[in-house]
Amino acid sequence: MKKLYLVIAVLVMAAMLVPACTPTAPDCTKPEVFCVGLVTDVGKVDDKSFNQTAWEGVQQAKTDGVANWVQYIETTDAKDYDKNIATFADAGYDEIVTVGFNLTESTYTAAKKYTSIMFVGIDQFLSADATHPEWPLANLVSISYNEDQSGFLVGALASMMSASHKIGAVCGTDAVPPVWRYGEGYRAGAAYEDAKNGTTTEVSVVYHSDVGFDKTFTDPTWGADTANSMIDKGADAIFGCGGKTGNGAVDAAAQRSVYAIGVDTDQYFTLPEADAWLLTSAMKPETAPVAAVIKLTKDGTFPTGGIYMGPSGYAPYHDQASKVSATIDTEMKAILAGLLDGSIKTNVPPVKPAQ
Amino acid sequence: MQNIDGQIPVKKLRDLLNPLLVPLLAIFTAMVAGGIIIAIVGGNPFAAYWGLVQGSFGSAAALSETAVWATPYIFAGLAVAVAFKGGLFNIGAEGQLAFGAVMAALIGYALPGWLHIDLPAYIHIPLTVGLGMLAGAIWAAIPGALKAYTGGHEVINTIMMNYIALNITSFLLNGPMRDPDPLNLSARTPEIAASARIPTIFPDLRVHWGFVLALLVAVIIWWLLWKTTMGFEIRTVGANPDAAKYAGINVKRTIVITMAISGALAGLAGAIEVTALNYRHELGFSVGYGFDSIAIALLGKTNPFGVVLAAILFGAMRNGGTRMQFMTQIPVDIISVIQGLILLFVAADAIIRFIYRIRVREERVVLTRGWGG
Repeated sequence: MKKLYLVIAVLVMAAMLVPACTPTAPDCTKPEVFCVGLVTDVGKVDDKSFNQTAWEGVQQAKTDGVANWVQYIETTDAKDYDKNIATFADAGYDEIVTVGFNLTESTYTAAKKYTSIMFVGIDQFLSADATHPEWPLANLVSISYNEDQSGFLVGALASMMSASHKIGAVCGTDAVPPVWRYGEGYRAGAAYEDAKNGTTTEVSVVYHSDVGFDKTFTDPTWGADTANSMIDKGADAIFGCGGKTGNGAVDAAAQRSVYAIGVDTDQYFTLPEADAWLLTSAMKPETAPVAAVIKLTKDGTFPTGGIYMGPSGYAPYHDQASKVSATIDTEMKAILAGLLDGSIKTNVPPVKPAQ
Repeated sequence: MQNIDGQIPVKKLRDLLNPLLVPLLAIFTAMVAGGIIIAIVGGNPFAAYWGLVQGSFGSAAALSETAVWATPYIFAGLAVAVAFKGGLFNIGAEGQLAFGAVMAALIGYALPGWLHIDLPAYIHIPLTVGLGMLAGAIWAAIPGALKAYTGGHEVINTIMMNYIALNITSFLLNGPMRDPDPLNLSARTPEIAASARIPTIFPDLRVHWGFVLALLVAVIIWWLLWKTTMGFEIRTVGANPDAAKYAGINVKRTIVITMAISGALAGLAGAIEVTALNYRHELGFSVGYGFDSIAIALLGKTNPFGVVLAAILFGAMRNGGTRMQFMTQIPVDIISVIQGLILLFVAADAIIRFIYRIRVREERVVLTRGWGG
């Protein structure tokens, strides 16, 4: 027993000696010290999704010498959003990045309260309406994407890679504009390649709009079932777009040994069980635009108009690289370049037209 | 003069402190163990705990947020504690809390429209909170009745009722009660009317009168359990249902009443979150309070005042975690680790008694009986 106390005592003493290692925060209230804080949605900063890619963008700003100090707070409960933002604001941070749709209102409110702090919202869609009459605010920018372009890219690739010329997409609800843009962009991309190559590809895009908003993105069973029924009908490439529902479809496709296409981030790293058949992912890269906006803030040219457009893209082919011919790869690069310079248009409207 | 357990007059300070000994040592041991873990992962435990204290008690805003966090914990902890006193294990606080919140949200936003009048706050708030309590009470009385009249075990039934409650909530919040705002993309209700909102105590802080109500309710529950016939019946049935039956107590009715009180308290937790903090109910809010409350009831030794202290401790830790992470970059998960260790040491108190060489002096609290009990 005495020995146990001794061990505990030694460990406690050792613990007291550790502190020197952790770097201490500079005084962010000083004008010459540029500090950036990031508030995650409920979840972890290494979630291999938006929390992580956005944080990598913030860290990038530090590595590039733009920011002097960066720090994150992981939210554990929705009622802490305001408090977590205020923790950075009260410590004199110059810019605060908030990640996730759920922080939209807290970020908007905080931007109105702390007018000298710049705010960056990830996955937040604001426009001037009854609840946000003052939008766009001079100190708040949302990073948005042309999801239709990323969908277009993977749709084109699926259509070129498909042997059966039947491809599918399994998505969350089309009432969420980015999801709808992904799905319709996918369709448009396949049509674009069809017109170019004289093929006819049957594209089936299914939205999980038949359930509530709490289920539509968290229903991997439905995603897998839908993907399986598409594969039964001959589809040999499946695009899963919409959280866990889409992941279910991607997994099912990989299990049935047909091409699987991920969404948002490079899902080669988030869905390792599907790696063997993951062709690519329709990307919304957060890292570069977050770092870019921080740089603009430091330079005194914070984006106006409330929106900063992030780049479109598609993920590397990874394990499938040997199957993608040089011709197809060249075509993909050409489409990406065309979409970015505007010479190729997806013709997908930003929101689903009312019926 | 009675001590906090209410049984015998206080003779020695030691008798008063004795029941606190194991929980306090459990907290202390868990903090030491947590500190060692922090040190192993490369942090400074003293800086971390300093951040925790600053974040939970270091300023007016911090104190306010701790009270905000503690409020649902007090109500839900009392709910589980009352059931324990009656020999019942209510794992269904989560579902009862959700129903309380849904009902409060419905009465909060829809009642003025149904009645075509603007209700004054002194009518609308009690109605909203009261019906939220009633919803929780009814939802808990069902497994209570199943236990009393069919012997169906309340642990199984309350767990299953949780799933039913959460799926009904999901249906309501996606369907009939969904916020019709075209910009709304979440499963949530509209905002409740201003007349149904419990005001904050201070203008710029979020701490609201619901916290004061929680403290008041703790006193009422203590009074109910130790100063009324009903409380005596609840405790007697909890201690020994056979003896209670021979003493002429209606055991079946008492079981149903105990569960109803427990459910009413859980429903109150949900109703207060809606009327005093969120002003609407949304899926994803208030998740896990029903389960944390079991830990709080155990740490508080099922005593109402013990529950209040345990709830404030848990609230402070959850609230202060943010500042701890902000100051020291130690992951907030360490809070869950420490809370888990506290629960482990309280539940398996033989560990604490062994480490600190405490002889068994107090009676063990019988929390619940087995099958067919």
